Amino acid sequence: MSAEIIDRIVENVLQGRRDSEDEGVDEGYYGQPGVTELVKEALGKEVPLEKILSDGLSRGMTMVGQKYETGEYFIPDMLAAAEAVAAAMEVLEPQLLESGRQEDRGKVLIATVEKDQHDIGKNLVCIMLRGAGFSVVDLGINVPAKRIAEAAASEKAGLVGLSALLDTTMPYMRSTIEELEKSNLRDRVKVMIGGAPTSDSFAREIGADAHGKDAFAAVKIAEKFLPGEGNR
Amino acid sequence: MTKRIYHGGQYTVLSRKEIENIHDATMKVLEDVGFEITYPPALELLEKNGAKVDTEQKKVYAPRELISKCIKQAPGEFTFYGRKEGQEIVLGGTRVQFGTGGTALNVLGFDRKKRPSKARDIADIAALVEKLENLDFLVVPLYPNDAAKGKGDINRFFPCFGHSSKPVMGGVYTLQGLRDIVDMASFLAGGRDKLQRKPFVGFITSIASPLRIDDLYAQLLMEVASMGLPLATSAAPTAGATAPITLAGTLVQQNAEALMGVVLTQLVNPGTPVLYSAVPSTMDLRTMSFLMGTIESGLMNAAVSQMAHYYRIPSYLTVGTTDSKIPDAQAAYESATTCLMGALAGGNFIHEAAGLLEGAMTASPAKYVIDNDIIGSCMRALRGVEINEDTLAVDVIARVGPGGHFLAEEHTVKYMRTEAFFPRVSDRRSYQAWQEAGSKDSWTKAEEIASKLMEEEHEHFMDAGQEEEIRSKYEGLVQF
Repeated sequence: MSAEIIDRIVENVLQGRRDSEDEGVDEGYYGQPGVTELVKEALGKEVPLEKILSDGLSRGMTMVGQKYETGEYFIPDMLAAAEAVAAAMEVLEPQLLESGRQEDRGKVLIATVEKDQHDIGKNLVCIMLRGAGFSVVDLGINVPAKRIAEAAASEKAGLVGLSALLDTTMPYMRSTIEELEKSNLRDRVKVMIGGAPTSDSFAREIGADAHGKDAFAAVKIAEKFLPGEGNR
Repeated sequence: MTKRIYHGGQYTVLSRKEIENIHDATMKVLEDVGFEITYPPALELLEKNGAKVDTEQKKVYAPRELISKCIKQAPGEFTFYGRKEGQEIVLGGTRVQFGTGGTALNVLGFDRKKRPSKARDIADIAALVEKLENLDFLVVPLYPNDAAKGKGDINRFFPCFGHSSKPVMGGVYTLQGLRDIVDMASFLAGGRDKLQRKPFVGFITSIASPLRIDDLYAQLLMEVASMGLPLATSAAPTAGATAPITLAGTLVQQNAEALMGVVLTQLVNPGTPVLYSAVPSTMDLRTMSFLMGTIESGLMNAAVSQMAHYYRIPSYLTVGTTDSKIPDAQAAYESATTCLMGALAGGNFIHEAAGLLEGAMTASPAKYVIDNDIIGSCMRALRGVEINEDTLAVDVIARVGPGGHFLAEEHTVKYMRTEAFFPRVSDRRSYQAWQEAGSKDSWTKAEEIASKLMEEEHEHFMDAGQEEEIRSKYEGLVQF
């Protein structure tokens, strides 16, 4: 029984269906339970949390990633899947807190830097990270360096992700890193950057720890810097 | 599997009045200037049907009434079948279909060296074309230089029958070759009657510009017509050399030539599925180079499509070839501009549109892949912008609201795979991703795609028994 419900969770992650109102990638799903309902059902049947997370949600996202790599899935397909998983994580929050898994892993703090109003890329990264089971704090757009540093401290972030779309706002990534150093946070907070004008070499130049060329790369970086046994 | 149907006709280079001007001028040419036809049975047939024939000069003066009658007899639409259900194409109206062309003498291989083409290359290209979804038919692309003298015809069609399920058409050089190919096709069809009912092979016979049909081609044309198989009576007037320098003048002459093809086929066998056939081209009068990829050729082909619509006869256009020697920028823009014109003009059997370089002298696997993308883009253009309540998307715009994004909308997921055309070759990644993948240009990428498609397993459309029987029956088939 538990294997069957886990398979249905995987199937619905692949379909990107949060709940019964979602249509999914293929036809004929409307009205059937989505990922959140199935996760509730699994909890009711006392399927172990670990199984729901790793064999269901995480396996589903891995398969989605593979479908993206082969070109079968597009970004919106990935987003739908990630949003469904993120919604399921919310359902699981009481259990997660109880098990103490999220505590030691550290949060990801995300912001578009000062003077930059672009947020689509940043939002994608947030959705994908949440879909991968990370706890994400989104500070929004046009965020000054000082505020990012303050939030990194107060939220106990383990990783800060900075986004910029303009080459005129890219320098604020550097000043944000400097601000983190000034606040003596740099030894416990990793920094990743992303956005169309950024590159590996720019990341090195400003002393960032990593550059993600897209939202999937951001997830990989987060997994590297914030290894968590719990919810992956 | 049913093919999506695409309609052209959005682009009209000629006004109705101009079409009539060309028609009237053409009637004067056919009635007063006359056509040179040397094959006596053709002359007799024309004379019997009311044409004025000068036997001494071998000239035919065809009256308007005769031409009109034959135009009316020619089918306005016919189906050209494939070897597999769903591969058939319906020719006529404004339905647009693209395919390959010939006859190239060389192949530009993956080593980027040009070499003489062989029978094996025909099989390889047929197999590649089989996998290119935007190519609807296969015109025999190459000459097999390894075929013995007099064995060119069978060695051109045999590899196509073995490796293609798309409708196959090609030129023939000898009457014996034509008969052998029809026999071979009849054997594969399970009888001549079956082949005639659902023809999957058609032929191209030539009319020599200006205004001349020689013995052999008249004979071939009449033979194909008598069998009722699909036929193109290709004429290639070259503006400035074998036709007037003005595009209008070349259109008049090509119209006369195309209509003479129609007239002869319909007199032999009323209802013969004939294409209004044109290969209008130009010459560079600075160098005497015969040109295939010019924008003027695109214009004339668009006009040809309109003339064919006017006569209600399916058209045979010639676009997409380039004068470039390699699949470079020139190759891409020449192929793309002329293909788009032919498509928008509503050409029916648009041939020569894939794989060819150097004015159709050389075929390149990479170019087939690039042209498949170009043709896919043209088809997307024909599909136009779909307007209905759902596509107008007011609900979605309202739901997302100012400042939001549409990436996570179900509406996006619903349409994202069909609203856009996805070419195989175009690189659409970031600079860094492109660089990491090897900084490849489109030629290199197309080569990789072509080579992968050619290495992958492909279907055979002749079983071992059939192949053996054909090989033992027709001497001179090259082993490959």
